[in-house]
Amino acid sequence: MSQSFSNNINSLNTVNVSNTFTVADDGPNILAWLSPLDPRLRHQDIRDQRVESIGEWILQTEEFRTWYSSNAGGESDKPVLFCYGDPGVGKTFIR
Amino acid sequence: MIDSLCDGAGEQNATIACFYFDFAAQKELSITNIMGALVKQLVSGLEETPEEISRAYREQRGAVGGRRPLLSDIVKMLQTASSKKRTFICIDALDECAVGHLVKLLDSLNQVLQKSPRTRIFVTGRPHIRSEIRRFLEGRVANVSISPKRDDIIRYLRSRLHEDTTRDAMDSSLEASILKKIPEDVSEM
Repeated sequence: MSQSFSNNINSLNTVNVSNTFTVADDGPNILAWLSPLDPRLRHQDIRDQRVESIGEWILQTEEFRTWYSSNAGGESDKPVLFCYGDPGVGKTFIR
Repeated sequence: MIDSLCDGAGEQNATIACFYFDFAAQKELSITNIMGALVKQLVSGLEETPEEISRAYREQRGAVGGRRPLLSDIVKMLQTASSKKRTFICIDALDECAVGHLVKLLDSLNQVLQKSPRTRIFVTGRPHIRSEIRRFLEGRVANVSISPKRDDIIRYLRSRLHEDTTRDAMDSSLEASILKKIPEDVSEM
């Protein structure tokens, strides 16, 4: 019994290893195929320029809290939060 | 905003994608690449690549010279990726998106929400695109007006004054006057 159990574990491990291998093999290629762009770089620029805790007030607004925590997906749910303002008011830099 | 969402993403076990529009950089961008960049980030945030996406990749790779995904493929993949996990999509400066792209982008987001209504979409932009957003996402948008708050302005000024390289020209009364005058002027904007 214990012998066959450990055999099972071994065979599961083998399956896992081969799966991981396929994903690891294709993963970066799939990402490159999806898009050549990398918006994370721009995000890093903005992070570097941002002043700590500016715009934190928005996290306390009722609109943000409802939007963030709502899980319902029902009729009255508003899945889109649109923050609007004129140029230079700091939309990009809100924390 | 992205960082705040990232901080909270752990507790919500969520995946996040962002895109920043920029007038200067947008010309060479195709809508497929823009939306593809969203899928790319969502997939990176999942434990494993969804089978539907790997399959699409293998099929297209088999084509002569390898084929790029079409917008309709990308939208399907966005729908798939966003239904695996709680998803946040952030789009900054949507008003700087090319006019021809804007409609396609909003339509794509609408399709994503139809498939995975729990997805949260965060958009910033100038007030004039509000009607365009409403046209595609009627009844599903909450609006927040962004204006600089007095405390934010003072924090920003302090930070910039701290980085000032010509400190000799600054004395405490000039600094105090800057910290008083500028926030007053801004609040009159």
